Amino acid sequence: MKKMIAIGFEGSANKIGVGIVTLDGTILSNPRHTYITPPGQGFLPRETAQHHLQHIIPLVKSALETAQVTPQDIDCICYTKGPGMGAPLQVSAIVVRVLSQLWKKPIVGVNHCVAHIEMGRIVTGADDPVVLYVSGGNTQVIAYSEGRYRIFGETIDIAVGNCLDRFARVLTLSNDPSPGYNIEQLAKKGEKFIDLPYVVKGMDVSFSGILSFIEATANEKLKNNECTPADLCYSLQETLFAMLVEITERAMAHCDTKDVLIVGGVGCNERLQEMMRTMCSERGGRLFATDDRYCIDNGAMIAYTGLLEFAHGASTALEDSTFTQRFRTDEVKAIWREANLAKANSLADKSI
Amino acid sequence: MDATPYAKSQWDFSCDLEVNFGSEENASIVYATLMVDKELQPDKVKRLMTVSNGKLLVHFEAIEARFLRASFSAFVDVLTLATKTIEEFGPGMEL
Repeated sequence: MKKMIAIGFEGSANKIGVGIVTLDGTILSNPRHTYITPPGQGFLPRETAQHHLQHIIPLVKSALETAQVTPQDIDCICYTKGPGMGAPLQVSAIVVRVLSQLWKKPIVGVNHCVAHIEMGRIVTGADDPVVLYVSGGNTQVIAYSEGRYRIFGETIDIAVGNCLDRFARVLTLSNDPSPGYNIEQLAKKGEKFIDLPYVVKGMDVSFSGILSFIEATANEKLKNNECTPADLCYSLQETLFAMLVEITERAMAHCDTKDVLIVGGVGCNERLQEMMRTMCSERGGRLFATDDRYCIDNGAMIAYTGLLEFAHGASTALEDSTFTQRFRTDEVKAIWREANLAKANSLADKSI
Repeated sequence: MDATPYAKSQWDFSCDLEVNFGSEENASIVYATLMVDKELQPDKVKRLMTVSNGKLLVHFEAIEARFLRASFSAFVDVLTLATKTIEEFGPGMEL
């Protein structure tokens, strides 16, 4: 039987990507382009959308060429419905609507956060882990329960990646390949730990106060030679990641799960992975993590998650193919996991 | 060709855009694509679209010039993208 194939479009933040995958998780192509701003500056919706407008069509061509597939081979066209920045999200949505009509193929709207989780699961083989989803726009501790990905803890203000990115602007570090990567490299040279606020509130975390604190004290401390930029990066990482490990561990205890999966752009930080791995091994569990090819936003994760939904009978009508800045992880019914559950139950019945 | 099928403007600021696709099918694809996204501030800007003889006719109305400008400019960006997508991936596309 012919394998099912999907094309996926991701453009919710500063990356625009187009990926082509099969239902078993094989990635046939996954090109992307990142909008990189000058040091000291973040990316704004309007300029980011202009970047996506310029790159999306060449990316579609490149994805089809690399994968060696024609539009006839494709079963469904998937796109990020949200959450994310409005104007950049619209770029993918527009192209997908046109292609759906030209190629006569169905559309599947995908939740960005769920796509990160499914991509992480298929790439690492983690079956039912506690998921830490950390990126520039999101910070959530998630576990699957009764048909949905439930959020056990999350940030109550800014995302952990946003905190790191904005501190990189204070130090005017380069945004190429990403501000977080450059903080990570600089932190390796840090020697002195500077005390920073540590803000865990039950299952939730808060980063904005820590950012304000370090923004206010960094320049003063650097001027007086009390510490180096590397010390600040090191101290910030240690503090933020310790908070994330703490709430993840609490979720594991609650769910009685030993395995952890880290997804999202901050997930490729090796220090975070190392701290989480230590905690997991102390609990007799395993850490699952991926590298920058899958951690960072890409088209393949949208294609794969959309294809899972499509294979279980779901699709999005053209007139419903909207985009939305707010779209919580637990709004999505993970129908593909329910089906697996039903299969497992029927197997169990037979064995009785 | 009468580009303004709308009898009367309710709001002070208005403008019309006419794009000739030379094909009813392509005009309809762009129409269906752009109809999905509603104006974000319907109390300030209105957009009406029709397709006729392979042409897409768009009428904008707003209560202030700046809303009209913002809405029109954003619309032209996505209209251009939809049109380019048809040009690149429509019938007879070559990889």
